[in-house]
Amino acid sequence: MKPRLNFEWLHGCSGCEIALLNSGELLFSLFQLVDIVHFPLLMDHKYIADPGEEGDLSLPEADIGLVTGGVGLASHLKILTAMRRQCRVLIAVGTCAGHGGIPAMRNQWTAGQTMETVFSTATTDTAPVPDGVPALLDRVSSIDEQVRVDVCLPGCPPRPEMIIAVLEALIQREEQRLPHKSVCETCPTVRTGKGQATIHRGTVRAAYTPGEPLDRMRCLLEQGLLCMGPVTAGGCGGRDVPLCLRSRVSCRGCYGPVRKYGNQLLDMMNALASNGIDYRTIIDRTSLLRFSGAHGRLRPKGERK
Amino acid sequence: MNWDAKIIAFCCNWCSYAAADLAGISRLQYSGSIRIIRVLCSGMVHPQQVLHALDKGAAGVMLIGCHLGECHYLKGNEVALARAEVIVDTLEDLGYASERFELTWVSSAEPERLVKAFHHMIARLADLDRGSPVFTAGGAGRLINET
Ligand code: FES
Repeated sequence: MKPRLNFEWLHGCSGCEIALLNSGELLFSLFQLVDIVHFPLLMDHKYIADPGEEGDLSLPEADIGLVTGGVGLASHLKILTAMRRQCRVLIAVGTCAGHGGIPAMRNQWTAGQTMETVFSTATTDTAPVPDGVPALLDRVSSIDEQVRVDVCLPGCPPRPEMIIAVLEALIQREEQRLPHKSVCETCPTVRTGKGQATIHRGTVRAAYTPGEPLDRMRCLLEQGLLCMGPVTAGGCGGRDVPLCLRSRVSCRGCYGPVRKYGNQLLDMMNALASNGIDYRTIIDRTSLLRFSGAHGRLRPKGERK
Repeated sequence: MNWDAKIIAFCCNWCSYAAADLAGISRLQYSGSIRIIRVLCSGMVHPQQVLHALDKGAAGVMLIGCHLGECHYLKGNEVALARAEVIVDTLEDLGYASERFELTWVSSAEPERLVKAFHHMIARLADLDRGSPVFTAGGAGRLINET
C-alpha cells in the first residue's frame, strides 16, 4: 500500500503548488509514490475551516502531510493543528512555511496598522475595513512556531525535484539530504577578493560582456550589487548555477537563512562589514528579512526591548 | 544583587580574561549577574552569538578585548570594532535596545577598569529595565557595589 498524503495551503501565494503542478513528469512520480487523500487545490474536499464555525476539521488521516504557507489567520492555525494531528510526518514546504516568507513582512507593523494601511491609506482613504475580512493574528508565524515539524524544505518555490526527493527519502527511510550550504557554493562568478566599498541602489545592473559565460562575470557583491548569496540557503538551482544568477541578477534571499536560526539581515551586515563594505549605504536594511520575518525576527517598529 | 538578570561578557583570552582573573585574585567585587565566556579573541565573536544571547533572555552582552593595537592576533579587535557598529545598528532594526550591547577594551593589567565596565553596564541595563519584570522579580532592585 502506498503512503497517504495530505497537502494543505495556508498563508502563501500558491506558488509552491503551481511549481509542483507545473513540473511535468515529476508530478506523475508523485502520484506513483503516494496516494493523495487530501489536496484542496486538486480535489473537491469540503471541510469546515472558516473562523467562527464550530466543529472539527474533517481531514483524513495520512502518513505524510505537506504544508505550504505560514500562519496568519485563526483558520490557518486551526487547519495546521488538524494537519499535525492527522499526519504522522509533517513537512514544511516552501519559505513561508519555514521562515514566514513574504507575508511575514507585515510583522514590521501591528495587525491593526496593517489593516489600516491596506484599507484606508491616502489612496483608499474613505474605505473602511469591509465586513467579512477575517481578523488577522497579531503576527505571521512559520508553521514550526506553532506545531512540531519534521522536515523543513525551503524555497520560493522549492524545486519540485527536491519535494519528490524528500518524499522518496522519507518513504525509503533514508536520511534527508537537504542542501545546507549557501547560494555562493554553486555560483561560478569570479571573486577577486577586492570589491566596491559601497552598495549601489537597486537600479544598477550587473556589468558583463554579453555573450561571455557566467564564469567570466565578476561576483555581483564585488560589483557593488546587494547579492544575498552568502547568507541564503542554496539549492535553488540544484547542483547547478543558482537561478537568479543565471539571469545575472543578484540573489534576493528567497531560500531563507543558511542555518535554521540564522538571521539574514545580521549575517549580511556582518559579511559586508568584515569585508570593509559600508553597510550604511544600503537603503532600508530591514527589507533583507523579506523572506524570513517569522520567528520574531521582524517586529513592529518602536517595539524596543 | 537583587536583580536576577544575566549579562554575558565575552572576554578575550589574552587581555580581558586575564584582567578578570586578576580581579578575582585581587578580590575586586562585581555582580554575579555577569557571566564571563572566554573566547580566544574579541574578533571571533560573531554578531549572531550576541543576538542569540539576547534571544535566549540575556539582559545584555559585553564584548571585551585588548586595547586597539594590542590584539594577540594583531587585527582581531579591529574586526570586533567593525562588527560592533553592525551589531548596534542591527539590534535596533531587530527591535532590541542597542544599549544592551557594549564593546570595551581592557588590558590584562587593568582589573579595576574591567570591574568598572561591569558596574557601568549593570547600571545602564538596570535603568533600561526599571519597572520591567526582570528587574522587579528579585525585590527592590538595588545595585551593590555601585561606584
Ligand atoms: S586577542 Fe584580545 S582582542 Fe584579539
